[in-house]
Amino acid sequence: MTKVFDPLKEEGLDIEPTVCARCGFCTFVCPAYLDTLWDSQSPRGKLYQLRDLIKSKKPIPPDFAARIFNCTLCGACQEICQTNIPLLRFWQLTRQEIGNLEEWPEIVKYIDGALQESQNIMEMDQGDRTLWTDMVDDLVEDKEGVKAEVAYFAGCNISFKGTLAFMGENTIKVMEAAGLEYTILGEEEYCCGNPYFVAGGFEKAAEMAKHNLRKLKELGVKTVVFNCPGCHRAFAEEYPHLLGKEAVEGLEFLPFSEFVLKLLNEGKIKFTKNYPHAIAWHDPCELGRHQNIYNPAREVLNAIPGIQVREMKHNRSKARCCGGGGLLKGTNPMMSVRISGRRLEEAAKTGAEFLASECPSCTMSFNDGIEHASSDVKFKDLSQIVVEALGL
Amino acid sequence: MIRKKHFQQLADIVGEDFFSHEEYMVKLYSHDIAALPGIVHDVLNPSAEAVAQPTTTEVVSNLLKFCKKENIPVVPRGHGTSGYGGALPTRGGLVVEMTRMNQIHNIDREAMTVEVGAGIIWAKLLEDLEDEGLTVAAYPSSAPSSTVGGWVAAGGSGIGSTKYGGIKEQVVDLEIVLPDGTALWTSDTALDTFKEDKPEPFFKGDDAFYYETEVSEHTDKDTTHLFVDSNGTLGIITRVILKIIPLRTIKPLTISFPNMEQTIGAMQDMRRVATPFYLHFVTDEFYKMLKEVDQAPETAHEWLVLCALEGTPEEVEAEANQVIQSVAMFHGTVESDEIAHHEWEERFYPMRIKRLGPSLAPSEVYVPLEKMVEFLNRCNKHFKGERMAIEGAVNHKGEVAVLAWFLDDERRRIPFLFGWYRSLDVINIGIKSGGRAYSIGMWNVAHSRDFYGKEDYTKVSTLKKKTDPKGYLNSHKVFPGSLYLSTRIGLLIMLVAAILVPVVIWIAGLWVPSVIAAYVPWVFVNDLASFLLWAIVGCVLGFVVYEFANLIPISVVLAIGTPFLRLGRKIFH
Repeated sequence: MTKVFDPLKEEGLDIEPTVCARCGFCTFVCPAYLDTLWDSQSPRGKLYQLRDLIKSKKPIPPDFAARIFNCTLCGACQEICQTNIPLLRFWQLTRQEIGNLEEWPEIVKYIDGALQESQNIMEMDQGDRTLWTDMVDDLVEDKEGVKAEVAYFAGCNISFKGTLAFMGENTIKVMEAAGLEYTILGEEEYCCGNPYFVAGGFEKAAEMAKHNLRKLKELGVKTVVFNCPGCHRAFAEEYPHLLGKEAVEGLEFLPFSEFVLKLLNEGKIKFTKNYPHAIAWHDPCELGRHQNIYNPAREVLNAIPGIQVREMKHNRSKARCCGGGGLLKGTNPMMSVRISGRRLEEAAKTGAEFLASECPSCTMSFNDGIEHASSDVKFKDLSQIVVEALGL
Repeated sequence: MIRKKHFQQLADIVGEDFFSHEEYMVKLYSHDIAALPGIVHDVLNPSAEAVAQPTTTEVVSNLLKFCKKENIPVVPRGHGTSGYGGALPTRGGLVVEMTRMNQIHNIDREAMTVEVGAGIIWAKLLEDLEDEGLTVAAYPSSAPSSTVGGWVAAGGSGIGSTKYGGIKEQVVDLEIVLPDGTALWTSDTALDTFKEDKPEPFFKGDDAFYYETEVSEHTDKDTTHLFVDSNGTLGIITRVILKIIPLRTIKPLTISFPNMEQTIGAMQDMRRVATPFYLHFVTDEFYKMLKEVDQAPETAHEWLVLCALEGTPEEVEAEANQVIQSVAMFHGTVESDEIAHHEWEERFYPMRIKRLGPSLAPSEVYVPLEKMVEFLNRCNKHFKGERMAIEGAVNHKGEVAVLAWFLDDERRRIPFLFGWYRSLDVINIGIKSGGRAYSIGMWNVAHSRDFYGKEDYTKVSTLKKKTDPKGYLNSHKVFPGSLYLSTRIGLLIMLVAAILVPVVIWIAGLWVPSVIAAYVPWVFVNDLASFLLWAIVGCVLGFVVYEFANLIPISVVLAIGTPFLRLGRKIFH
């Protein structure tokens, strides 16, 4: 039986609510606060409440637990924090504490059950893992489970959600165009564990992480390519944290933009076609603020002839969230869609034809936001732009 | 005190979604950025009973009318980013939080003014003005989260104040809702509006009335300046018209110096050769603490000055050259552009070092720049052995807004309590060095008269008496008010007295029985019945003490308490 706030205490983060300067800088960058304008939803307000609970050794009450999950884990609070509190980790561990109290929101419990049952968040048969390859099955039919130095890791959203399958297809087309030998894991691809990392269920993610790494190593993979920044972050940041750095030794993890940039630099692909469109670039939180990866996508876009890249008012480390992170889409879908609406307004102000990003979660959020707000903004994933610009 | 029936009525006025009386929520709106020692918290009892977030001036007006009628104390609040207690509730009641009144209503390019809702955040205003090629001339270092109305109410200087003055110099007009619910614009409201119908009776012995007799015959046509710095005691600010300037180049320079004298000397010279937009320094001790938290760049020396210049590219280059030439005489090293930009970006982050505490005891006071060396020497002597970080920013009058930070730990209850005196002592040392209080709020209420000046203080006192005689709007701020001890403290006093009285009598009976027998033979404690009897007497006495304590003004409590805190600190530090 763990004691209250053990997860925070074990990493020495139980002092952080006292370190908080209460300056409130985090409030006006926090999507949840901006949605409600109540301090109870802001990082400052939550830290203040946690300070009292930690001091009095009282457990987090259920209503407060629900508010802790009203958060996209976008990391904007950590970026602006006056006293450099590692807030991302702090919120993850607070969610772990909530898990220990068995107070996870229902949707998180459902995802937990699905992952335990089926190794994917959709509770679908692992045999359907290659549904996304329908449109490129002629290309990948002999790629599943073969030995290769490059692997494509699709992730649960792209694998099972038909509306996102195009991202996987596009990545495969780019790999083919570059003449690469590659592999996909097929039904041996387990969820990366990101939902657990987000919900603080670290131990539960360990088995999935070990399985995925073992399979990749068995196939002699050296480079793993992702369309999903959540999966990428799980492999690049969480796996070494959870299993030790040696567990990922010899493996390189590349988000789609970095992978395309590498191919461009190696001369394996080249943009020759004119692409006369203006796009506004949105940095996915899990690549940008979480991993400090901002430039590859911009470099890829700038290599396309005729394209105009426009920056939104809040970009790079100050980019506002799409509303889709931190499981908010499940725990508070209305808040999530309103948050994406605010980002869409910012995109519209640039006058660009498309809002673009590289993330399945951002794609879903923005498409929901466009529908909800009847916005005129159009969204494109980077992989679509790359494939169109390459004429594939 | 808000009664249960009032909650629904208040929610009806402000809107259900913009009202809360849930305990956890109300707690979040009952503090500002300063951590209070436990006992101070108990004594002052800063706990509101409900929070309202009005969306229009009409809603604010209706709220105030209702609260005045029902005798509900009201505390206006921006975003709670000050540490002077100006937004702390002292008698329960309703917190009126202004952040939903956050629109930009009008930008007047001819008059170069902007009209905004009082709850707009400075950072948002700066961003939106930037899109128009404009900016405000001065903004607070808390700009990422503080409201325009909050700074107007609290007063002070900030970034841009070296060239353009503090908030007082930026405000053109204010829309205010007076305590009786009347809304007005201050620029076309003559002071006559607020004059007493009947003059107060003259009584020479009473200090308050003495000032009453000094009222100037001059009638203000524009009362705006009286409402700036007034901490929301005279009315709730709902809209603000501010001066704006064109957005031009900012060139930051960071210069490091080997010691205090050269730093202060160079800053004086910089003001002679240029008109910096922002002139700011940190002491070597502060620099060392910043190093400990990895926030200090590698510089030649440890006394750092940030001199930011504003104007056309040619103007700032010319001024920069003047400054660079000037600092050579003081052995200053001009640091790289990278360091200069780092320091400029860090202008919003004075509390980086808090992690080392993990608490900070802050203090702020204005000191003339030419007296800074004297002030710093006095502080170093007075606070020997304390971990103290000092920084300062110069305003347009050549005064330095000094911020002193003392590292502390609020989890160590007793030393943290006794350490509180340092905040008050810094202000006293500043005043002795020719300075003045920075802002009044609640903690500096003893300095109110000197801060506002005799004439203005008289005017605002008259205004307060006329519009809010019971002091229901932000009581204890600017105008000293008596303590409002919590029921918990009252019960504690009664309990202690109930135990203490019979025990003292019993000990006296053992120690000097002959004296007791000779003079007060009816005083004895020798059985349970007599113990209980005297316990009841003690309890009553405790109640009397509690009621008496509630008559003592907070300023007197602070004045009496400070020497005890100082002594306690010596013992417990």
